[in-house]
Amino acid sequence: MKIRVAKENCTGCKLCMQICAIQHYDEINPKKAAIHIDAEFPDPGVYTPKLCVQCGKCMEACPVNAISLVGDAYVIDPETCTDCGICVEVCPFGVMFVHADAPTPIMCDLCMKCTEVCNTGALTVVE
Amino acid sequence: MNGFGGTIVRINLETGGIKRTPTPEKFAREWMGARGFVAKTIYDEVPRDADPLGPENILIMAPGVLTGTFAPAGSKIGFGCISPATNGHADSNMGGHLGAEMKYAGYDMVVFERISPEPVYLYIDDDTIELRSASDYWGMGSLDLEKRMKDDLGEDFQIATIGPAGENGVVFSCITHDFGRQAGRCGVGAVMGSKKLKAIAIRGSKSLPVHDLPTLTKSTCDIIQRTKTHPLMEPWQKYGTALFVGWSNDHGCFPSRNFQTTYHEGWEGISGEKLAEEILVTHKACFGCWINCGKYSRAHIPGKPDVYVEGPEYETIALCGGSCGMTNIHDVAYANYLCDNLGLDTMSGGNTIGFAMECYEKGIITKDDLEGHELRWGNIDDFENIIRMIADRRGIGEVLSYGTKGAAERLGQGTLAFAHQAKGMEFSGYDTRWYSAQLLSYCTSDIGAHHNRSWAITADIQIGQDTPEGKAEVVIYLQHIRPLFDTWCCCRLFWGEVDVTAEEHVDTIRYITGWDVTLEECMKISEKIWNLTRSHYLERNGGPGRRFDVAPARQLEEKVPSGPAEGHRVGIENFEYMLDDYYYNRGWDKNGNPTREVLEILGIPYVADNLEKAGLLGEPFEDGVPEVRGRRLKPKAM
Amino acid sequence: MIVYLRSGGKLHELLKPDVDQYTRRVETDEGATLVEILGELGIPLAMVAFAFVAGKVQKLGYVPSEGDVITIQSPVAGG
Repeated sequence: MKIRVAKENCTGCKLCMQICAIQHYDEINPKKAAIHIDAEFPDPGVYTPKLCVQCGKCMEACPVNAISLVGDAYVIDPETCTDCGICVEVCPFGVMFVHADAPTPIMCDLCMKCTEVCNTGALTVVE
Repeated sequence: MNGFGGTIVRINLETGGIKRTPTPEKFAREWMGARGFVAKTIYDEVPRDADPLGPENILIMAPGVLTGTFAPAGSKIGFGCISPATNGHADSNMGGHLGAEMKYAGYDMVVFERISPEPVYLYIDDDTIELRSASDYWGMGSLDLEKRMKDDLGEDFQIATIGPAGENGVVFSCITHDFGRQAGRCGVGAVMGSKKLKAIAIRGSKSLPVHDLPTLTKSTCDIIQRTKTHPLMEPWQKYGTALFVGWSNDHGCFPSRNFQTTYHEGWEGISGEKLAEEILVTHKACFGCWINCGKYSRAHIPGKPDVYVEGPEYETIALCGGSCGMTNIHDVAYANYLCDNLGLDTMSGGNTIGFAMECYEKGIITKDDLEGHELRWGNIDDFENIIRMIADRRGIGEVLSYGTKGAAERLGQGTLAFAHQAKGMEFSGYDTRWYSAQLLSYCTSDIGAHHNRSWAITADIQIGQDTPEGKAEVVIYLQHIRPLFDTWCCCRLFWGEVDVTAEEHVDTIRYITGWDVTLEECMKISEKIWNLTRSHYLERNGGPGRRFDVAPARQLEEKVPSGPAEGHRVGIENFEYMLDDYYYNRGWDKNGNPTREVLEILGIPYVADNLEKAGLLGEPFEDGVPEVRGRRLKPKAM
Repeated sequence: MIVYLRSGGKLHELLKPDVDQYTRRVETDEGATLVEILGELGIPLAMVAFAFVAGKVQKLGYVPSEGDVITIQSPVAGG
């Protein structure tokens, strides 16, 4: 399963960011989300949800083998991760996110919670 | 404290001093946020003779208990001060993302005191709070500056700015955020400008503590799933507030040509459908809202640069559009852009320019006053000329910079009769000659004629449009429940449109704070705020209160000349009847002054002491004070 | 013919939904306007701001076709 992003439908409401942080950290803090929304305003007026596309480059780069493929998603083992930041640097899409209070970089594990709250079709599940 | 950032900040702009204190839980519980925080703080701190644009006025920004939480559309932030338009209590709120960001940085209220010697902006990055020079930014347009500051500081900062109009003290200047969300009313932008505060930039990365996250999460997710299939979700998402342009015309409450009539010939050209067909770029939501009523547009007018703007919303269409005689959605969007970038409220701005166009039509304002230009209905070039004169306060623009009331007082010649304002603030986009409860709403409002206090048009229809009876109770109920959302700081639309009940919102507050709060208690807080701001107005302006609850002569006396409301007017006798009924049901005296009995029930006896000292305390009606509190006044129809 | 009217909010009680929480099944004559249909249901026209059919706003003079799903909305304040 994957998440399909239709950026033309995104309205920038950040519900996805909120539910993501609640799901993964039990906290209300959209900055701790594995999804972020780029807003290009005033011109051309476009929102772009950014999240992991599951390319696996981070796993290849991880010096301590903390990242592995579990089901359809790459996930970070917090026990092994040293928070060295190499995966963040190599991520070609800039979708490994960092937060001062998070023990590891934050990446999408395809829990699909964001697709449940999105009301515009910007984020949907595809098999 | 659960649900709050935890810190209140005071900034002395004159000395640069910054003081942090913990947010007292008692204060949070008793006033709940934004409008409540602002009303209490201004009442307690601003001297009664302070000049609204002088150093003794304060400017406050405060989110509320629901802001930044996972509550439905918990996006709002309030700004407050003494209004230069009304010389009374002012609060104005906006959605967008600023309020949430402020809570994530850890703050519940920022109080700006005194005046900065140089232009500055406030920079907040979590625990870092600085006043920084804004000399490079002074003079810039609101939208231009937001873009510039995002480039300078980073896209993840949330920015609020004022435009040149705010710097110059135009009394209907606004504060702009998120490329088109405004704290538009009461002239909060002028007060910000008077303090030489050009902008506010906030970035917050902290987690917001809540009492019961699992229940809160489940509750909001359930509400999301339930409302996704609500029949009204799709039309709202598609058209936003502009949906109602057609209805408003069909029912004779749409302002056309400065409220000369109430059906606008050519309204189809400025409707929500036209917006969606011709200029829509993207739908745009505030923080945590899945209705996304915001419409982001691009206007194209030959000979002018293409411009981007959020909107136009219903109110902008009614007042910049209808009231200024426009029939082309591109013109309205362009006018909206001009207001936004100059930093002017589209509502009071459109209303004031419509007033000026009528003055031009009547020969009271001439080409000589307009630097050789004309001021014709529906002409976007003329609109652009006059609005720039207003923002710069040049020539006749200086006269109009005081709004319709201030301008009418300076122009004389009977112009006050068609100045559509109450207490110095302009009407929202609804004519009231067939909607008397709405007229009562405007004229008894603490901040002037703004529909965020009470929007009673459907109540008028349900009760009977031509009767004055039963209107006061409905208006009082609405004046308590609607501004409650500006106190909690979530959007009203979920309650008004897709059947999320007020009780559900209160449940959400309980999950967030752990307080055993009820809707009854919240309604009492809302009524407390109402009585506080009313008392504040009287303490500043003298009494009796009835002297200030006055309607424009056109609404009382002139019959609507055309359209569905043809022949209707409210009439002075009906208006006086409604006022008597209103004061009685509020437990005030017949002159509209609050009474000790009511103020004590509401827990603010010190306000009664102040009124008594000033000789403004009312004597209750002979049969005493009605058992007002809470929801007793909820009309059957609501 | 059969059409379906949907609403929430203030019109909800007046509409008396029977299909689901929001929807009422209505049998009506072909060619009847929305004004006539609402009249038969006893819904005051002034309380209906507009109708919304297949993604488009329609005035109350609209003549529904068999099977139309028609959302009706009461007026609210903008802004």
